[in-house]
Amino acid sequence: MSIDPRLLELLELIGSSEAQNKPVRSDELALELGCSLDDLGKLLENALKEGLIELIADTWRLTNRGRSEVQSHREHYIHEKYGHRPGFLGRAARFVEGSIHDWRGHWHHRHGLDENSLRGFYRNIQDLEGRVEETSSLVELHPGEKGIVAFALGGYGLVRRLADMGLTPGTEVAVVRNAPFRGPVEVAVRGVSLALGYGIASKVFVKRLKGAD
Amino acid sequence: METGRRITVALAGNANVGKSVIFNQLTGLDQVIGNWPGKTVERAEGTLHYHGYTVRILDLPGVYSLSTFSIEEVVARDYIAIERPDVIVNVVDASALERNLYFTIQLLELEAPIVMALNQVDFAAKKGIRVDSEELSKVLGIPVVPTVAITGTGINELLSTIVNVLEGKTKLTPLKISYGKEIEDRLEKLELTIREKLPNLSSKYPARWIALKLLEKDEDLIKKVEDHQQGPEVSAFANAVAEEIERIHGEPSPIVIASERYSLASKMAKDVAHVESPPRLHLEEKLDSITAHKVLGYPILALVMAAMFATIFITGDIMVRTLENLFENMLIPATLDLLSKALPPALVDLVSKGFLSGITAGVTIALPYIVPFYIILSILEDSGYLPRVAFLLDNPMHKIGLHGKASICLLLGYGCNVPACTGCRIMETQRERLLGGFVTVLIPCTARTVVILGLVGRYIGIPAALGLYAFDLFLVFTLGRIGFKTLPGEPVGLIMEMPPYKMPSMKTVARKTWARTRDFTYIAFPLIIAGSVVLEVLAVTGLIWSIAELMNPLIVGWLGLPSIAGIPIMFGILRKELTLVLLADLAGTLNFSQVLTPVQMVVFSLVTMIYVPCIATIAALVREFKWKKALAISIIDIVLALLVGGVAFRLLSRILG
Repeated sequence: MSIDPRLLELLELIGSSEAQNKPVRSDELALELGCSLDDLGKLLENALKEGLIELIADTWRLTNRGRSEVQSHREHYIHEKYGHRPGFLGRAARFVEGSIHDWRGHWHHRHGLDENSLRGFYRNIQDLEGRVEETSSLVELHPGEKGIVAFALGGYGLVRRLADMGLTPGTEVAVVRNAPFRGPVEVAVRGVSLALGYGIASKVFVKRLKGAD
Repeated sequence: METGRRITVALAGNANVGKSVIFNQLTGLDQVIGNWPGKTVERAEGTLHYHGYTVRILDLPGVYSLSTFSIEEVVARDYIAIERPDVIVNVVDASALERNLYFTIQLLELEAPIVMALNQVDFAAKKGIRVDSEELSKVLGIPVVPTVAITGTGINELLSTIVNVLEGKTKLTPLKISYGKEIEDRLEKLELTIREKLPNLSSKYPARWIALKLLEKDEDLIKKVEDHQQGPEVSAFANAVAEEIERIHGEPSPIVIASERYSLASKMAKDVAHVESPPRLHLEEKLDSITAHKVLGYPILALVMAAMFATIFITGDIMVRTLENLFENMLIPATLDLLSKALPPALVDLVSKGFLSGITAGVTIALPYIVPFYIILSILEDSGYLPRVAFLLDNPMHKIGLHGKASICLLLGYGCNVPACTGCRIMETQRERLLGGFVTVLIPCTARTVVILGLVGRYIGIPAALGLYAFDLFLVFTLGRIGFKTLPGEPVGLIMEMPPYKMPSMKTVARKTWARTRDFTYIAFPLIIAGSVVLEVLAVTGLIWSIAELMNPLIVGWLGLPSIAGIPIMFGILRKELTLVLLADLAGTLNFSQVLTPVQMVVFSLVTMIYVPCIATIAALVREFKWKKALAISIIDIVLALLVGGVAFRLLSRILG
């Protein structure tokens, strides 16, 4: 299962261009990965050999295997980073879980995502723009930072409640302030201020906007 | 002109947009209003007469959506959809147009006759937002009346617009909300199917709305559809359509629909609202950043609380003295004079000791503390400080399975448990309301504070009294935590709107204080008077001593109190401050140090503080949670009080003795 992290990054980038219907350009890829064109060539060759990507109409595309590789990487990342509370207890819980084979069942039984929200979650991580490493939960944003809502990791009821309050995917939010000791986060969205409890805010994922004031 | 034609108008809109203010303006009633979302949970009702019409006005709870996630949403939606009021006044906050229009869109989809009250236009203007109401009216196809509810501006126009709509002088051409082509095509197909297969249901609700709700996976409506013979078929078809939409848009269909509504709302808001200057409200923003500051916020909260209680007790004390003087030296002798001419002496005694002393106790002991509390509370509420308190205290509240909003109830509890219990409705689920009610009744209200300060504070010292308060908070958290772990269900997280700060309006504060004091008087005074009369009867017949005898094992044996303390504790259930009054009566002195040792004072105050608040609170509990749960809470509190009292007596005697 374990593949070269650089290869994964490459797959993520190709996948996200695909989701946005943009052609993949080698120089952009190299720039994003921070490597030379030569190295990129080797990576692409490697990926092609592994059957993760294919060349269709002059642009790189993910194969089904590549896509599932990206998917599994993304959910693995989200799980590692946000599935459990930080600190010793979270690590302990993670340790007890061991390695996970059935992700769907795991999200459902251990993390309480129901069938409906799982579907939304998978669609959302499939359509994620950019690499999963670029998303962060609202609680990680500092006051003043802005982001675009990517998805919410939670039960269906919560996702709907958030949508009703205006936090739909694609909406711009700005963090106004946090309360201390894992207190709520105040965000400005659609011209109003909302206080979101820490638990909820940590389940709302945004793509950080750079250069925000 | 036709006289007495009865019409019904419902006020609907987001929370905290001024619906209750408009309601009060229209009806002249005193629906409690305040600058925090969620005061109106049940619908309030009033009537007014206008141009020969008898207009029934309903104030629906503030909601953000017409789904069925919270009790309020169900109340609002059922009313609009099923009872079909003649006109719905959609109250909209002009300063947060986008979010408010999201709700308007849902009202339009219900095909209800809508008149929009574009409220708080003054506040929006202060934020630099000018909303073109005519343009908005054109876009939506419904009349839009700009209002500033707090001053009554626009209320008359609102009324005449409503009547014009009813009389057909103003025609409504409501905007038909259309979604993207992919959704729209499928929606139409689904709508046709619904019309065909569910004729009954689609005569009750608009077919298109049913279709939308099915795509939104609204559990309540799915159940209603599936109750019909061909329902399961329709619902299966709807699921297939939802599946298609999901595939195209890459989001679950309810989210797709919410997003579409929001993008429409956002576009409309951009078209009709002109932001003239950068929205900067220096004073308000500064106040906001200081009072909700992650460090400074807490000392400020403590300071606000301290100032609040200091004011309450200083003004209360002055009022107590003045009123006592007035009653004892003037009113009571005068009344007795009058009575003794008309009634036999035995009856005069009963009336004077029972009835009169009841009223005196109520007026001179309870009101002086409660009225200032209500005034301060109204100011805090109106200014918008309470949501900041909820923001700051969300985290500790989570430790007892509640969220920040519960801290507002606890705060209310320090004044009087009755409104605090009712206030628990701001929480979303029944489980949280129950948990909130359970801990709220443990908060020492002003009446209990009178006992704590009057006994422990006065004779032992303020630090000891503060110690009792701290102990009480400890109890609240311990019991809350036990309740949290015992009650089934998952805790709900906080999602709360943070309204901007506003200068409290003195008129609102006065009206609100009056309304609350009046409600309090209606509930409390009959109980106080009845209690005093019963007590007097018991005293005259001598029964009181047999009762005291019966309670001796508990009072003297377990709690270590003097025998006479049993009666006040028992009657304290009527009003907690009565315990002190009765103790003084029975002991025949106002100097409590002659009858109680310091340890006994602490035990007496502890028991009074913890055991069921009072009959009025029990009544509130019954109303909110039904009698079984109310009884359970009461029994738990009584047992706890006796347990704590007995243990405290033994511990303290050992330490001090």
